[in-house]
Amino acid sequence: MAELLLDPNIRLWVFLPIVIITFLVGIVRHYVSIILSSQKKIELLQVQDSQVMIRARLLRENGKYLPRQSFAMRRHWFNNEDTGYFKVQKRVAASQNPMTDPGMMTDMLKGNVTNVLPMIVIGGWINWMFSGFLTTKVPFPLTLRFKPMLQRGVELAYLDASWVSSASWYFLNVFGLRTIYTLVLGENNAADQSKVMQEQMAGPAMAMPPDSKAAFKAEWEALEITEHRWALASSEADILAATEQPQ
Amino acid sequence: MSFNNYEDLTRNEVVDLLRQWRENNERKGEDILTLFETIIPVLNKLGSEKYLILEQVIYAALDCHYYETAMWWIMMLNVEFPGSMRVMRYKAACLEAEEKYDEALEILDNIIQSDDTNAAARKRRICILKAQGLVNDAIKALVDYLKMFMSDMEAWQELSELYLQVQEYSKAAFCAEELILHQPHNHLMHQRLADIRYTMGGIENMELAKSYYCQALKLNPENKRAKLGLFLVTNALVSQYKAAGGARRSDAWRLAQWAQRGAAPDLSAAMLQLAITD
Repeated sequence: MAELLLDPNIRLWVFLPIVIITFLVGIVRHYVSIILSSQKKIELLQVQDSQVMIRARLLRENGKYLPRQSFAMRRHWFNNEDTGYFKVQKRVAASQNPMTDPGMMTDMLKGNVTNVLPMIVIGGWINWMFSGFLTTKVPFPLTLRFKPMLQRGVELAYLDASWVSSASWYFLNVFGLRTIYTLVLGENNAADQSKVMQEQMAGPAMAMPPDSKAAFKAEWEALEITEHRWALASSEADILAATEQPQ
Repeated sequence: MSFNNYEDLTRNEVVDLLRQWRENNERKGEDILTLFETIIPVLNKLGSEKYLILEQVIYAALDCHYYETAMWWIMMLNVEFPGSMRVMRYKAACLEAEEKYDEALEILDNIIQSDDTNAAARKRRICILKAQGLVNDAIKALVDYLKMFMSDMEAWQELSELYLQVQEYSKAAFCAEELILHQPHNHLMHQRLADIRYTMGGIENMELAKSYYCQALKLNPENKRAKLGLFLVTNALVSQYKAAGGARRSDAWRLAQWAQRGAAPDLSAAMLQLAITD
């Protein structure tokens, strides 16, 4: 097969512009998402619930350092059938349908505006503007399987698989610029698109609000079966033994 | 480190030193202010650390009663972050330091109203009550606070101390137990509970105090206070068990002997003195 020669104009007017456009779009997305992001308000009840959970867990784990009576008193306070905290506090089960929550809806809309929309628009524009070019060649031979990945938009059956078409070059940039963004914008920037893609693959992108009711029930059960074993029973013998041994 | 050494430090070293103090919560008010003077010219080059340093300086100035300095920097921050909760808190702290409690309370109430999960502002309110000497009100407020923020260790500790002030020992002991739940490997927590149990008196509490002193000594054999406490509590137990005798008495006796044997000279002198007055 004859070696292909690319026009240097392709480098100047296709190869580099795609890199620059993807990069700049990432930067712009970062700043737009900063503008649009709303600080999540935490509700007092939520804080309270999480703190109660922490305390109950600590009681379960470290209760052995308390005298039996103190342990029983605390467990009674959490678990008593009539007056226990986990029994008295009625929490509404987390809403089944997040669509009913208007706050959730705006969040979702914002996510779409900053992530999905640019991807469609820019991707479509690049496809239209720069379609049909071969832009570069990877410096190693590849098997035919890579053809649909690297040569999107150029369907030539006999072309060597190492050639990269313009549309594929755009996608390579979208996924490959992550480290550059970290360099320029710092960690945890919003410019990276591959993360968004992963989230969409993984299923619902929204985190469900913590379900206090279920958590309370689980903690109640765990606390109910906790046995109290006093850890300090041997402390006296231990310190006596520790000093007597060397003598 | 003596005062004069600070002049030899380069600006970077000053920034590092300030950061170290900040992370260790060291309140060296005067030192922080003198060091801060040297880095004022480069303040804008520090990026976002500038604001952390300013926060540190404001609190240092309040510690040293330089209200004007503190107010000046608070105003500077206020221009940069209008409406920020954190800056409002500095303002409240400044008013509090000047003992203008009502105005401080007003600001804190505003903060809580706009963000009711702001634990720091709620705690400052309680501190104001305590500063005014209203211990009972402070206790009440703190109990309300702890109903909402149950795993706040500092608050439990504070409540324990407040209860000790009004001699509610069993409630103080409850709070101290809560502290042990949070930090079971901190010998000071065990020692604190043991102190309270010993003060409460009675054979049962003494036995508990003995166990906790032992645990504190197990976690840190250098804890002198726990050693002295163990000696006193075992001595008391020995005299309590005098009539009954038996295994418990000899156990307590062995521990008392052990505590006395391992004690440093100054500590054993204290033990003897206290044992005699007992």
